[in-house]
Amino acid sequence: MDFNLPSEDDPRRVEIRRWFEENPSPTLKQIAERGLAAANWPAPWGLGADPELQYIVDEEFVRAGVRTPHSINAIAVNQCGQSLLAHGTDAQRERFLPPALACDEIWCMLFSEPSGGSDVAAVRTTARREGDHYVINGQKIWNSAADYASVGVVVARTDPSVPKHKGLSQFLIDMKAPGVTVNPIYDMTGEKPEYNEVFLDNVKVPVDCLLGREGQGWQITVEQLQTERAGMTKPGAVWGYGPTARELLHGLIASGKIKDPQFRDEAARLYVEGELLRLMVYRGMSKRINGKPAGIEGNIGKMVASPHGQQLSDLAKRTQGMAGLVKDPDVLPLPDKDYGLFSDWDYSFWFGPAATLGVGTQEILKNTVAEQVLGLPREIDPTARMPFSDTNKAKAQAAA
Amino acid sequence: MNFALSEDHETLRDSAAGFLDKEVNIAPLLKHGATVADSGYDQMWEKIVALGWPAMTVPEAFGGLGMDYIDLIMVIGEMGRTLAPAPLFGTLAGSWAVEAAGSEEQKQALLSAVAGGTLKLALAVASPTGDLSQAGAGVKATRVGGAYVLNGSKGFVVDAAAADKLVVVAHDEEGDRFFVVDAKDPGVAIAALDWRDITRQVCSITFDGAAATLLEAGDEKSWPWVRDRLYLVLAAESAAGIRAVLADAVDYAKQRIAFGKPIGAFQAIKHQLADIMGQGELANAAVQYAAWALSAGDPDVSKAVAMAQSYASEAYKAATYRNIQVFGAIGFTWEMKNHLYYKRARANSELLGSPREQREQVIRILEREAA
Repeated sequence: MDFNLPSEDDPRRVEIRRWFEENPSPTLKQIAERGLAAANWPAPWGLGADPELQYIVDEEFVRAGVRTPHSINAIAVNQCGQSLLAHGTDAQRERFLPPALACDEIWCMLFSEPSGGSDVAAVRTTARREGDHYVINGQKIWNSAADYASVGVVVARTDPSVPKHKGLSQFLIDMKAPGVTVNPIYDMTGEKPEYNEVFLDNVKVPVDCLLGREGQGWQITVEQLQTERAGMTKPGAVWGYGPTARELLHGLIASGKIKDPQFRDEAARLYVEGELLRLMVYRGMSKRINGKPAGIEGNIGKMVASPHGQQLSDLAKRTQGMAGLVKDPDVLPLPDKDYGLFSDWDYSFWFGPAATLGVGTQEILKNTVAEQVLGLPREIDPTARMPFSDTNKAKAQAAA
Repeated sequence: MNFALSEDHETLRDSAAGFLDKEVNIAPLLKHGATVADSGYDQMWEKIVALGWPAMTVPEAFGGLGMDYIDLIMVIGEMGRTLAPAPLFGTLAGSWAVEAAGSEEQKQALLSAVAGGTLKLALAVASPTGDLSQAGAGVKATRVGGAYVLNGSKGFVVDAAAADKLVVVAHDEEGDRFFVVDAKDPGVAIAALDWRDITRQVCSITFDGAAATLLEAGDEKSWPWVRDRLYLVLAAESAAGIRAVLADAVDYAKQRIAFGKPIGAFQAIKHQLADIMGQGELANAAVQYAAWALSAGDPDVSKAVAMAQSYASEAYKAATYRNIQVFGAIGFTWEMKNHLYYKRARANSELLGSPREQREQVIRILEREAA
């Protein structure tokens, strides 16, 4: 057992750092060509990096002050792009991956629907095969980046005659195609809309944009969601990102508010929990170095990390008193660095309620942990085994 | 970076588990009116000595096994998981005190006896009222010729009644210092407390002119050095205890039928157990990290052990409370073992000071680092 993180003179680190020194302002294309956009992917896309090298690469991006491709094109680099490695064709990889890694084409996920919510598999959007095309119809919601994305990853139903999990397929669609309409959703933060709703009205998609096989959509979706949840184990204020308890302690010490005995103990408790969440991230990494899948662990991590993040920004707010109710500027000092989208306590706090909703509500995550880790009885879904086309009748009966 | 346990660690854990599953019998404690006297507190000791557990942390130079702290938590975790009633805690505490404060000669004499299985120790720090802020509180040491005598009293001494010698922190004109006293000295009176956790022997001690030997190499860092290690021991017990009660509660939730289905099918139960699972994972990570930090001599070690003890003991309290609630009213009866875990959890979170005090230690370290 060794908890030491890769050292400053680790030869792998030295090599990456030298590249950043030789290329102080690299273009996103250069970064992708060097294999650094998705270092954990195999060559030629990445470096085939184990999690430790990936950790080094992430640190060196921060040191060089260069924004990471995965923060610019998260859906492609973190969640969905890897599905093309496992399930895509050579032609799909050649067509989609180079512009995705170079961030020339931004991706978005088109999974959730207004009628579905947590019941992600109850997708009503349909994809009907017509010759060399599929024709997609339906409505999607909670889509980050859909307003500027070029590529949409759509889950749609190709076969309504089989149970809901079996009849789904995934497609890579052109967001500029006729029939795609994107509207922003103004969330409670009042800031620039993070989310959109997307209408798909007879959108024609070439058959070679089907990812994997027809009916494989649910399997691929679950893989992508688990990858996303594993990334949300980190100790930041929202979904692992943004300031952490370390920054909160920094602010409380610098402002003298740490002297308040109530804040002091709460802050200490959150600091401890945050450090332990870091250990969980490293442990997940270490497992993957040892060739074990991260799998279900990501669910446990997100289950703890989401409320942790909410409590962080809640405490940060309370220590600011009434001054914290004014939009934007924080009274509590925050160390100057790039926190990404969740760049201050104010936005992190007002965005906070979404942390236990997005990428699986807290309740669904707890069900998943209880059922799949602890082996408790599964929740009975009366619609799980019937043909999807019959589920509307079942819903009507349930409502009556 | 490698967070996985080695095969050696797993083998050690599994052999400790096999031994304790066979030897520990808490059935006598599940009869109403049972006290620690019914636990067979000394019965396993010879076998524990044969396994070399008292020698684990004693350096090889003094005849011990010189194993690291990750090895230690493999064994301690299993002791905690099974609530094994045996005086290992006191002997570990006393040995570390001797290692921290004894001269080479004293270490040679005392630690080799511990390693050889002929000496059991206990460490007396807390005052009779449970104050740990002054390690020497409650007992005064007076120099008489070339030796010392102790007068006063100490409280909350784990394993004192089982010990052959007591290591006592007392104050004299030079401050708080460590002394060794024979438990059979006529000036020593040991009384078992009516301690709620009946799987552990906790005593008060009165000293009335007891003859004492000063541990000659102690200083103000000795007690914090020992305390860091004791934090790890309690945290390791607690983290393993969480796994034990979670497994019990999950088993029960699968078997107990109400309203036509196992109670574990209800989200009210599921979600609570999922929460315990999450806290148990963090507690386990905290303990392993703290053990590694101690073994590696990491500069963050004091922070690591205080984090582990504060987190694991709070999580253990929550888990053992939940384990009673999931069982329902039967879990509240004396004949079930649920209360033994609940009481161990409560005791573990107070025995070295409260979780809040450990968090205060963490904050002070952060304030120093920020200054």
